[in-house]
Amino acid sequence: MASNITLYFGPGGGPSMRVQVCLEEKGLSGYNGKLLNTEKNEHKSEEVLKINPRGQFPAMKHGDVAVNDSLAACLYLENAFKNQGTKLLPDNPAQQALVFQRMFEADNISTKAFDGIVWYKIRTKPEYQDEAHLAKKRKDLVEELGFWEGHLAKAEGPYLTGRDFTLADVSFFPMLAILVRLQLPLKERFPRLDSYYMQVKERSSIKSSWPPEWDAKPAPDLLKDV
Amino acid sequence: MASDITLYWGSGSPFAMRAMMSLEEKGLSGYTSKQITFDKNEHKSDEYLKLNPRGQVPTFKHGDVIVNESLAICLYLERTFKGQGTTLIPDEAGQQALVLQRAVESDNIQSKAFVNMVYYFFTTKAEDRDEALLEEKAKAVREELQIWEGYLAKQGDGSYIAGKDFTLADITLFPFLATLVRMGLRLEGRFPHLASYHEKLKERPSVKASWPPHWKGTTGPGWLNVV
Repeated sequence: MASNITLYFGPGGGPSMRVQVCLEEKGLSGYNGKLLNTEKNEHKSEEVLKINPRGQFPAMKHGDVAVNDSLAACLYLENAFKNQGTKLLPDNPAQQALVFQRMFEADNISTKAFDGIVWYKIRTKPEYQDEAHLAKKRKDLVEELGFWEGHLAKAEGPYLTGRDFTLADVSFFPMLAILVRLQLPLKERFPRLDSYYMQVKERSSIKSSWPPEWDAKPAPDLLKDV
Repeated sequence: MASDITLYWGSGSPFAMRAMMSLEEKGLSGYTSKQITFDKNEHKSDEYLKLNPRGQVPTFKHGDVIVNESLAICLYLERTFKGQGTTLIPDEAGQQALVLQRAVESDNIQSKAFVNMVYYFFTTKAEDRDEALLEEKAKAVREELQIWEGYLAKQGDGSYIAGKDFTLADITLFPFLATLVRMGLRLEGRFPHLASYHEKLKERPSVKASWPPHWKGTTGPGWLNVV
């Protein structure tokens, strides 16, 4: 039941968004969601640490069961609430394999965008930033997006794995949305990713999980030069 | 059936080891095994890139189904061969949640120990390595290992990472641990539960069948002595 589910999350995080989208898709909109402030160190508060000793978001509890890593939480929710809401994992083994594959593959986006570029730009003083290093990282991210443009080209339908919205989209879309938020120009080089983004962002589970500060605050331009 | 399955793997890849362990645990030892040698650039051949555009290992093929992410391979095998071999993901909600949580949580070991530390050794010449930076990285690894030591301690002596049974969570953890030990990580003393867990799992048949061939009879680099 939704009222047995508590989710602590922070602003604009991909992993948190994945879990929120999953909860919405499984018809669990009534979950106890609490948006906390990392700047006020709320991720290290007692109530979060009780669920996630690492003091990270998302932190999710269903009754006595805690699951914090976003993909684990999504797999858990799909299984625990298999018979309600959207079917996020197909029964057909070949289709299932593709969903699992894309679901985990999506983490490459956050590695290449965040570890590669965003954190580097934020944590390294401009005078110490190595342009050659950044150029290579931008090239890596472009290559990565190329893989996804290719995946969409092969998909026999509007979603990542074809006709149906699945855990693959739950995992991937938030990562893509963050890239767009950080002003990565998609349209010219990645037309399919661009139309996928425009289409999926209208899905009601996505709209319900849209980070409020994305509408309230101006977008940082950290990926504008990719 | 095992004969419809092909696994492309590289010796020493913990991700390949996960796939191999899963195959063994699900009673699929008869799979077609294809070792890829990095020195010969086999992972960048046209033929291989058609199967895995990222040119990485492992690559798993079951009939027409191709899966390359190690955890995706394990999940696929557990679901498709549910009735046979070891149960890798329990049905009971609380147990299942813990197994899935620990399985994905092992990513932390990947980023702190492998990406942040081992990779530094691979890409930085010995004379260029910064002592202070190394100690910073080593500290992060120690802290991460302490978390896993804690998980094992909480489960009790002789247990597996998610309880009294061997599960998917051990398949995701053990290859990382074994590789770090291979690279000079010393567990005894500071991480007693991890040390006995490592000793115990080394003897498990699926682990023995998946042991990297080039590890046999040789010692690895002592890079992680500093941890």
